[in-house]
Amino acid sequence: MTTLAGHANAPRGSIPARPSILQQMWTSRADYLYVLPAIVVMLIVIAYPIYYTIELSFFKTPPGLQLRDKIFVGADNYTAILSSEVFWRVTINTVIWTLASTLIAFVLGYGAALALHRDFAGRAVLRAILIIPWVISAVAASYIWKWMYHSDFGIIGQVLVQFGFTDRQPNFIDNVHTVLPSLIVVNIWREFPFAMIMIMAGLQTVPEQLLRAARVDGASTWQRFWHVTFPHLRGVSTVTILLLAVANFNSFIIPWIMTGGGPSNASHIWITHIYELAFGRQRWGVAAAYSVLLFVILMALGYFYVRALSGNEKEQGA
Amino acid sequence: MAEVVLQHVMKYYGSMAAVNDVNFTVNHGEFVALVGPSGCGKTTTLNLIAGLLPMSGGDIKIGDRIVNDLDPKDRDIAMVFQNYALYPNKTVFQNLAFPLQMRKLPKDEINRKVQEAAKVLDITHLLERKPRELSGGQQQRVALGRALVRDPAVFLMDEPLSNLDAKLRVQMRSEIKRFHQDLNATIVYVTHDQLEAVTMADKMAVMNGGLLQQYDTPAQVFANPVNMFVASFIGSPAMSLVPLDVATVDGKTVLTSAEGWNLPLSDANARKVAGASSRKVVLGARHSTIKLHKSQVAGSVPSKVYTVEPTGDITFVQAFLSGAIVNISLPPTASVAPDEMVWLEFDQERIHLFDGETEMALRAA
Repeated sequence: MTTLAGHANAPRGSIPARPSILQQMWTSRADYLYVLPAIVVMLIVIAYPIYYTIELSFFKTPPGLQLRDKIFVGADNYTAILSSEVFWRVTINTVIWTLASTLIAFVLGYGAALALHRDFAGRAVLRAILIIPWVISAVAASYIWKWMYHSDFGIIGQVLVQFGFTDRQPNFIDNVHTVLPSLIVVNIWREFPFAMIMIMAGLQTVPEQLLRAARVDGASTWQRFWHVTFPHLRGVSTVTILLLAVANFNSFIIPWIMTGGGPSNASHIWITHIYELAFGRQRWGVAAAYSVLLFVILMALGYFYVRALSGNEKEQGA
Repeated sequence: MAEVVLQHVMKYYGSMAAVNDVNFTVNHGEFVALVGPSGCGKTTTLNLIAGLLPMSGGDIKIGDRIVNDLDPKDRDIAMVFQNYALYPNKTVFQNLAFPLQMRKLPKDEINRKVQEAAKVLDITHLLERKPRELSGGQQQRVALGRALVRDPAVFLMDEPLSNLDAKLRVQMRSEIKRFHQDLNATIVYVTHDQLEAVTMADKMAVMNGGLLQQYDTPAQVFANPVNMFVASFIGSPAMSLVPLDVATVDGKTVLTSAEGWNLPLSDANARKVAGASSRKVVLGARHSTIKLHKSQVAGSVPSKVYTVEPTGDITFVQAFLSGAIVNISLPPTASVAPDEMVWLEFDQERIHLFDGETEMALRAA
């Protein structure tokens, strides 16, 4: 027995030196081979377009010219963008669009999730109905809402007139002051079910025993929410808000189909503006420069997203 | 502190009775264990006492109040949960203070009470930590502390030790027992571990299938189980139960086996089996009351060894007897081998006899 024990202890004393990184790569060369096709595809469809966009952002592409005859202009595209009035208009629109859509959709979704978490008759039906906006096509939804907002035949205007809120049908999406809020309403309608589903999933993980403990401790319904449920949902809330923010920042379908950015740029956000510059006016260089700026901003959001995710893991892992 | 009275307590889920007409009284300062296998209704009973579930029928009294319609917070109870249920985003101090804040006590009083409870449970040095920075035993102590600060009439504990490892469980078991003695607290304690119940409780309520099987002191439950379920549930290893038939040989009552042997009964035991509803009787015996012989002696029955399990100071032997398995404990010096033929001798004073049909213990008429 003693010799056996001595033997078992022997390897502990002589740990071999750590192999260098090249040696490690060589020993797992087969693994690299397996992921090589995926890496090649990624380089072709992601890395190259990113590179090409950055390159293009330093060139001028007059509409009459072939793209390969582009003219190098240095940072002119960037200075032109940053000094243009439209840029600031579109940026403010984008900020309003992103913040308002994200926060209101999140709060509505949160509320709906809490309401649906309680057991009542017809809950499953109501849940299915509330998810509809999220599952129907954004294009279809845009056309439906366009009709509902229509200045002559729109049902919303008619209802407002009938109930005496206004004398004549308001012109929701042809008016520079009301167009952005009107589109934001559509966007919130479309994406609050996403927040609802995320929060509903989070609610399922709230430990029942904690809620019971709080009840025994004398906490009211509101106090149980504030002291148990709300802190428990912090992680999923952060992730939901970030995902919504990124999606809204990248929105295209609703504003493009409903207004195309108009009237007079009042509903242009970054993506629709970039699309119009590139494919409408063939100003590839300026559009590329816009894209690079957008890329930098989204990378920053992505950084926070990853940090929020790993922060959660740390909290739950410890 | 106060007594807890359950009268005809019922809880239905659909048509299934999870708790079926349960009656018992927990006296002031008593430690009562609700014990039984999973799904026996013990936790449901505890939740009914706590008011976390609505009752389907009956009355629950805490102190001199009927609490049927009172909220948990108004029942003057505190509860300790299986996985501690500490608020993960609050420090230990905030966890202990929470029930007092909900009661809107003044700040300095909260502070004083938390410090007192922390001192009793020896967790003062942990007050600024978050629950996830604590070990299982420390979390359990904080959970006890959160119950303690309330100074409740009754402590309700729902399997508080089952998440701890074996060693810590034994240690916390004595701590909770100490806690009970020092505070003279009234405790209702749910556990599926009969050993916990036997070692800690003043009285135990053995439950199965929603029904209260037996409510008595651990010693009584151990010595006089009312039916086969209680007999097989309490005690480790379990009481051996051997189904046999009653017969009369030469004017004497015997238990007879299909294996062809007879076990003569003492007069007292013969009177017990006379009250059985049929000729089918189950013989029960605890491992320590059975003697194992290498050769036949008067009144012994033949058996074949199945396994031998030395545990250090006791060697447990399992042997086949009339189709059932019998546990026998022997001193570690005994030498028995699997498949060996042995003879078992039962102590007539200490065997249990159960009605083969009703499974109830047979008592002398």
